[in-house]
Amino acid sequence: MSLAIARRLDLTTLLPFAATVLLILGGSLFFPQMLGIGYLSQQLQIAAFLGVIAMGATIVILLGHIDLSVPWVLGGAALISTTLAGTGDPLLTALAIPAALAFGGLIGLINAVGVALLRIPSMVWTLAVNSMLLGISVLYTGGFNPKGEASATMNWLATGKLAGIPVAFLLWMAVAVGLALMLHRTGFGRYLSAIGYNEKATFLSGVSTPSVLFAAFSIAGLCSALGGVLLAGYANQAYQSMGDPYLLPTIAAVVIGGTSILGGKGGLLGTVGGVFFITLLNSILSVMQMSDAWRSIIFGVLIITMLMVQTLRGREG
Amino acid sequence: MATSPSPIVRLEGVTKRYGATVALDGVNFDCNAGEIHAVLGENGAGKSTLMKIIAGVIQPTEGVVHVDGEPVALRSPREAVSRGLVCMFQELSLIPDLTVRENLMLGAPGTGLGRLSGRTLTVACDLLARIDGGHIPMRARLADLSLAERQQVEIAKALAREPRLLILDEATSALNASVVEKVFTVIREESARGIGVLFISHRFHEIEALADRVSVFRNGRHVETFDNGAYDYPAIINKMVGQKIDDLFPAKPEAKPDAEVVLRLDGFGWEDGLKDVSITLRKGCITGLGGLDGQGQARVLQGLFGLLRKTEGDIVLDGREIQIASPKDAKRPDISIALVPEDRKTEALVLQQSIAANMQLAALGVDGVPASDPVLYRPYIDALQLKYASLDQPVGQLSGGNQQKVALTKWLALKPRCLLLADPTRGIDVKTKTQIYELLRRLADEGTAILLLSTDYEEFIHLCDETHIFYDGRVVRHLQGDAVTAENILAATLNLPAQGGTHA
Repeated sequence: MSLAIARRLDLTTLLPFAATVLLILGGSLFFPQMLGIGYLSQQLQIAAFLGVIAMGATIVILLGHIDLSVPWVLGGAALISTTLAGTGDPLLTALAIPAALAFGGLIGLINAVGVALLRIPSMVWTLAVNSMLLGISVLYTGGFNPKGEASATMNWLATGKLAGIPVAFLLWMAVAVGLALMLHRTGFGRYLSAIGYNEKATFLSGVSTPSVLFAAFSIAGLCSALGGVLLAGYANQAYQSMGDPYLLPTIAAVVIGGTSILGGKGGLLGTVGGVFFITLLNSILSVMQMSDAWRSIIFGVLIITMLMVQTLRGREG
Repeated sequence: MATSPSPIVRLEGVTKRYGATVALDGVNFDCNAGEIHAVLGENGAGKSTLMKIIAGVIQPTEGVVHVDGEPVALRSPREAVSRGLVCMFQELSLIPDLTVRENLMLGAPGTGLGRLSGRTLTVACDLLARIDGGHIPMRARLADLSLAERQQVEIAKALAREPRLLILDEATSALNASVVEKVFTVIREESARGIGVLFISHRFHEIEALADRVSVFRNGRHVETFDNGAYDYPAIINKMVGQKIDDLFPAKPEAKPDAEVVLRLDGFGWEDGLKDVSITLRKGCITGLGGLDGQGQARVLQGLFGLLRKTEGDIVLDGREIQIASPKDAKRPDISIALVPEDRKTEALVLQQSIAANMQLAALGVDGVPASDPVLYRPYIDALQLKYASLDQPVGQLSGGNQQKVALTKWLALKPRCLLLADPTRGIDVKTKTQIYELLRRLADEGTAILLLSTDYEEFIHLCDETHIFYDGRVVRHLQGDAVTAENILAATLNLPAQGGTHA
């Protein structure tokens, strides 16, 4: 019995990795350059931006909640870091990354206040927070692309290489391993999925469920902010709506990775696979010169297909 | 032996297999019009499978179901309902987010797309009032009602469908004796019109008082059907378990009125639900909390477990006054209070997670407790004889009785000083009940103070050392020793003067 369950979990987790390999092999039939080191290394770098954000999103979705404030936490963090670095003042430049992360953590806490204390559905509350952040940033920039630029550290994090491997990818893996350890070594991971399945029973087991929600949403905020810092480092600037293209792929990566959108079931490893898959699919579609319109449609169909597979599997189990 | 020559439902050689498991094995069974037919058996004896077949939820692997003498294939609950076979399952089939009114209308005869029949609602409301549910507001969201109230709504809904055969699968498990009596009074009146009732209950006194015939099942086989009263309790229990259980309850030790006080409630109150309650819990004693549903007894448990805000009065533990703000507080080693909640499916367990994960959920993160060490849980798993394939098995796959064992083990592993239990034997088979009673007595002997809320007054008589009966948020009677009798308990629950017990 335990073996059967373990096997099924592994299969769900490994599925996106297998799909990614198929995608690369299939794509290489038409575009042989896809098997080159240069291309793959570039994909790792690009995947890292989405990957960092998706790590936080996985944690929130495991809880059975969702964080829709990703776009403007990302945008806000990019704005803050480039503004500080753009001053040229060494102290402010050094503060660029910590300030952006602190901002992300703070928004995470605000998200948690609404969800854990005021008991407002996260889908509504985080969407409202996202909208307010949008408003604040428009007020601040006047609606134009802000001045400022990324610091050297930000550039290095986003585009640098260590022993031939993109630094951004290493950073993503560090975040993933750090969170995975936190999930497995402490009760935190257990609490997350227990709450995702049944918050009431978890609370009645003497677990401080609000604390878990606070921790989870701040981690998600920090991850989104880190994603913003990396993107700003990559583009060497912040720009309006830079986070918008990241919301749907983030959720898609988590869902494709086998994490249940209803909470409880899933994990970080699956999401890593989901991020690879989404990134490569995106890249292949753009190599094929597929228009944005079609790409959006394909992502939507993908998410719905995965949700249907999950529902059917849940029914059978 | 049949009292009526016209069975509504007759099963012939019915077998149901799930893979290698045989849930029902060549069962011949019938239920007549106008009779109340009780089905008895341990969990896993095949009672629920039998009910599901008659209700059209599942189809038999072999054998034939006859309705009114004709062989039929009941392919869905809808087909069964159209033949007048209406079933209420122990998993309540109401929709939590709809109001009482909407639930009563749902699927009622005469309602369809765009058409809601007012008459159905009137009938249902009237039925609800007759089974003591008149106080339940029609506009209340179902999720906000207590379990007992939800069961009342469910019963009213089923009766309003004008069934020919009403199947009650543990449908009265959370109801008090007096409400159950009213339910059956209504059913008796209906049965004059030829309605048959098939019901599963684990409360012997209920069956004794209400049933015409009794069928016993064991391990998927039909053991015997007999007229009520043909056998006494021990003989029936022996038929159910196939082996001798000497007594349902463990021997009650001498009263210990001077035992060390573990916890004292002094003038405890909460809003309008609880007023000036003073209860003393002594080491080694099992203290009962009784009364009609919703009279405040459940609030005492909630208050002690940190679930109520702004309580009045004092909680004194080992001589010092304490504050309990949350369940997390309650489980702190210096307080060490555990609660096994009423509804095991939604409050006590995470059904999708494994047995191991559920057992560890309370111990996880408590200082000095090795939560992931299976040795911590072993003594309780053994004492309760938990039946499982593997500890990685999801708890949802276990039978109700085994689920309750997991819920108990989860808290007992923390060795609580004070154990709060909300109706722990509700809907549980006799054998599991004895195992739980035995364990509770042993824990008490080892020094745990136990507070037991129950809807089964036999537990007050045979298990508890003393009992507090609640009415309208107050303790109206404190029964001890010889005063704990069925008559006194019933009188107290209705807030009648002592010695006035006129219970039939």
